[in-house]
Amino acid sequence: MEAHTAAGKLQGLAGDAPWYEAAFVVGVTNALNVAADGLTAALPPLSDADAGPEACAVFADVRSFYGGADVPAPLRVIARDPAYLADVFAAIRRAFADRCLTRRHKEALAFAVSLTTRSAFGLGFHLTELRRLGVSERGIVEIVGVAQMFSSYTKIADTLQLETDMAHIAPVDTSGVPEPDGE
Amino acid sequence: MPTVRLRDASEYPEPARRLFELSKAWFDYDFKEPPAMSRVMAWDPHFGGPHGRAMKRAMAAGEFTRAEKEMVAAVVSGANACTY
Repeated sequence: MEAHTAAGKLQGLAGDAPWYEAAFVVGVTNALNVAADGLTAALPPLSDADAGPEACAVFADVRSFYGGADVPAPLRVIARDPAYLADVFAAIRRAFADRCLTRRHKEALAFAVSLTTRSAFGLGFHLTELRRLGVSERGIVEIVGVAQMFSSYTKIADTLQLETDMAHIAPVDTSGVPEPDGE
Repeated sequence: MPTVRLRDASEYPEPARRLFELSKAWFDYDFKEPPAMSRVMAWDPHFGGPHGRAMKRAMAAGEFTRAEKEMVAAVVSGANACTY
């Protein structure tokens, strides 16, 4: 991982801010995926009728954020606690917002993570989002290629227990912590 | 600690050493010693060659930039729990 972070920094993503954003995307993507794959059979997603008004208010924001698409199943699962749902979705919305990284790029990261972790929900969901955001089949195959090749490199590195030897080549961001921008 | 002895660049035959020059150009960085992964892939140029070409094809700018793809590669490595 450190090799590619260093390589990305050398390719122009030199500051830390985009890497924080990427990490948050990976985190909440995994959070959605773990509440979807396998869990939805045991804890069914709530319908609008069963969710109650507080959760339905969040569902409206969710639909808006995803261009009118239905609310993703893992959010319907956690709608049993509307306050928890609201905070989880606020974190997701913040993580995927256009900031240093575009939403399109963030969906590509989420798709790659879902592909790598074999999340059936995440694959379908982020593939739909990539297409909605205008990424073509060729662009999707580009991300598949990167995920596939670096799933190969990582396993070669792990099998030989290679030690990190590239972290030092990345430029260091000496800037401070930014003020919250009050989205 | 690596489970194999990683050879110095000077121990590689000349054709394999040419791959190290490609590594410098790819990363745009003048390594004193090629990265461990470059030395692993140069062990067998008949594997490392096509594997590297496939990687470069996947990483080439298209709908996503090279930098964007490097970040995708980083999160894939993270998802694979690989620190390298």
